[in-house]
Amino acid sequence: MESRAEFQGAFQRPPGGGPFGGPVSKNLDYLQMDYIANPYLTVTVGRFLTPFGIFNERLYPIWIRSLQQDPLILPLSAESSDGMMLRGGFPVNAKANLNYAVYGSAVSTGHSNLGSDRNVGGRMGVFLPGPRVEVGASWQKLLQNGRTNAFGFYSTWQSQRVPLNMHSEYARSNQGSGYWVDGAYRLSQAPFWQRSMRRLEVAGRAEQFFSGQISSDAARAFGLPGANTREGEFGLNYYLHDGLKAVTSYGRQFSSDGNANLWSVGIAYRFALPLGGVGQQ
Amino acid sequence: MRLKIILASAVLGLISVLCAAANSPRSDGPTTPVAQSSAQADAMRMEGEKRFRANCGRCHAAPQKFPPRMMATIVRHMRVRATITDEDMRLVLYYMTQ
Repeated sequence: MESRAEFQGAFQRPPGGGPFGGPVSKNLDYLQMDYIANPYLTVTVGRFLTPFGIFNERLYPIWIRSLQQDPLILPLSAESSDGMMLRGGFPVNAKANLNYAVYGSAVSTGHSNLGSDRNVGGRMGVFLPGPRVEVGASWQKLLQNGRTNAFGFYSTWQSQRVPLNMHSEYARSNQGSGYWVDGAYRLSQAPFWQRSMRRLEVAGRAEQFFSGQISSDAARAFGLPGANTREGEFGLNYYLHDGLKAVTSYGRQFSSDGNANLWSVGIAYRFALPLGGVGQQ
Repeated sequence: MRLKIILASAVLGLISVLCAAANSPRSDGPTTPVAQSSAQADAMRMEGEKRFRANCGRCHAAPQKFPPRMMATIVRHMRVRATITDEDMRLVLYYMTQ
């Protein structure tokens, strides 16, 4: 059984002055029970992260992501689903592994923090351990309202020669379409200031969003940009140790709704607390 | 209606194929493989590190050392999250605990 919940606060000083204040949002990302039936199949029931693309499932945690801003196309698919999922990964041959996930979700409107849509979908990917390349595709069918389809493709690549990770994703639905490409490079091979430079990571992302068949207001309600948008982002991360990093980034967003600067400064800290016995195996 | 039938057939077909394919090895959790000699242990550690870099290193650095039972829980969680294979999971666990 595993779970993740989020608390997010946005605090600002009121226009007329006074103490800082603002809302704190709470969200249950997943609360799922996994049953590893055999080496090829895991059955998951409960609330789970929707396996559409790679960002939502693999790159979302703040201690993993190299840039703190979400990609523009992230809301194009449901971020969490309530239902059942079958998933697994297995080697096809010595050079390729196949991974898959198929799921069905029920509609849930009782609580705003536990909402989900009635949909079905799946993702399939092929990972080549040699060149460390993975490519895959996702699909989702909404079984309510407009009964619309969403689909997407993703790729990842990790260089074996230099400490470079690349990810990319494309997604399309009636709400819009778009892509993002990002990369993160650890400066561990820099010939100077080795002790500090090996802890430093340079990251960048380029992305674009194209408006779909819904109104600007409806798009904003989904968390999408209200108009065609382009964005470039550049970040510097410093790993104090493997569970603690300082993050900074600057991005520039170009949109017919108005251009904007996006600044991020923060600390990401990861820790694990054993809740049960941790004796020898 | 036709879509529902197709989807139900696809899911049932997938379950059947996977259950049939899984007749031989059964996965009862991430048990660490046992090395017969120190040379084999070294080879398994190296292979485990290679699998770690290929699978886990794509997203994050190696975590700090935890007790083996705790690490087994973490690896089981990550196996599901990252859909890594059973063999990769066992070798990564060996590398992380031995």
